[in-house]
Amino acid sequence: MNPIYLFFHKTGSPPWFYQFSGRLIPWLWIGFAILAAIGLYQGLLVAPADYQQGESVRIMYVHVPAAWMSMMIYGLMAIMGFVALVWRIRIMEVMVISSAPVGAAFTIIALITGSLWGRPTWGTYWVWDARLTSELVLLFLYFGVIALYNAYDEPRKAAKAAALMAIVGAINLPIIHFSVVWWNTLHQGSSIGTSGSSIHPSMLWPLLWMAIAFKFYYGANLLSRTRVRLLKQDHRKRWVQDLLTEENR
Amino acid sequence: MSHTPFILVSYLVSTVVLLWTALSPVINKRGLLRQLKNRHARMDKA
Repeated sequence: MNPIYLFFHKTGSPPWFYQFSGRLIPWLWIGFAILAAIGLYQGLLVAPADYQQGESVRIMYVHVPAAWMSMMIYGLMAIMGFVALVWRIRIMEVMVISSAPVGAAFTIIALITGSLWGRPTWGTYWVWDARLTSELVLLFLYFGVIALYNAYDEPRKAAKAAALMAIVGAINLPIIHFSVVWWNTLHQGSSIGTSGSSIHPSMLWPLLWMAIAFKFYYGANLLSRTRVRLLKQDHRKRWVQDLLTEENR
Repeated sequence: MSHTPFILVSYLVSTVVLLWTALSPVINKRGLLRQLKNRHARMDKA
């Protein structure tokens, strides 16, 4: 069998996934720590202040990557939800619900840091403009997925309902992205796009380091949460019993 | 207006949220493993 197919085939097996992710998680945390240290050092100490916004621009190095993550994680949840519903891969179901609290955390960070950046820049903590409101709707969607999952007693039914909600809620992602184009908003438009960036490299690099660091954080956190849920769901199965016997020795 | 408090609070809030989100699965796993090990030990005794 093709090694790539074989890898994906293996990831469908909870015992194999548990062992493999256990080895991967420490490396993801190390990656996160190194990249975040570089990003924070450059963003807080090396990068210059903005000529208009002054020092408050340093909030960008946590706000923008967090906002990107909030959208990326929801997009991934919708894709994993689709895969879970079509191919009935249980690990995908577990990964959808395990992603939701991490996505919600990044959305909360994006909203709070955005609000704190807005006060010195716009003169207000909050306005009901399209970008801010659609990001708030994203937070409610994350809460909705978590609440819907917890409303069911049977984990597989719960995961299917949560996956469906993740897919339907993905309609909000293009609304967030294009909100600054479709409506007149106080929030600025995108500075980084497919055609390039209007940000000076001295400010762009720390932003990119932080964006990559947050991806490592998501990977480590997602795998940790998925492992706990798999243990909980499979606690009567042989592989968990064997694992406990091994740990008791 | 000094921007320092806004920057400090932004990074402080982010750190707290990220730490809590990172630690909660570790705490949950410890509790679950303790529970399962106790059950396992009881079953072995029986």
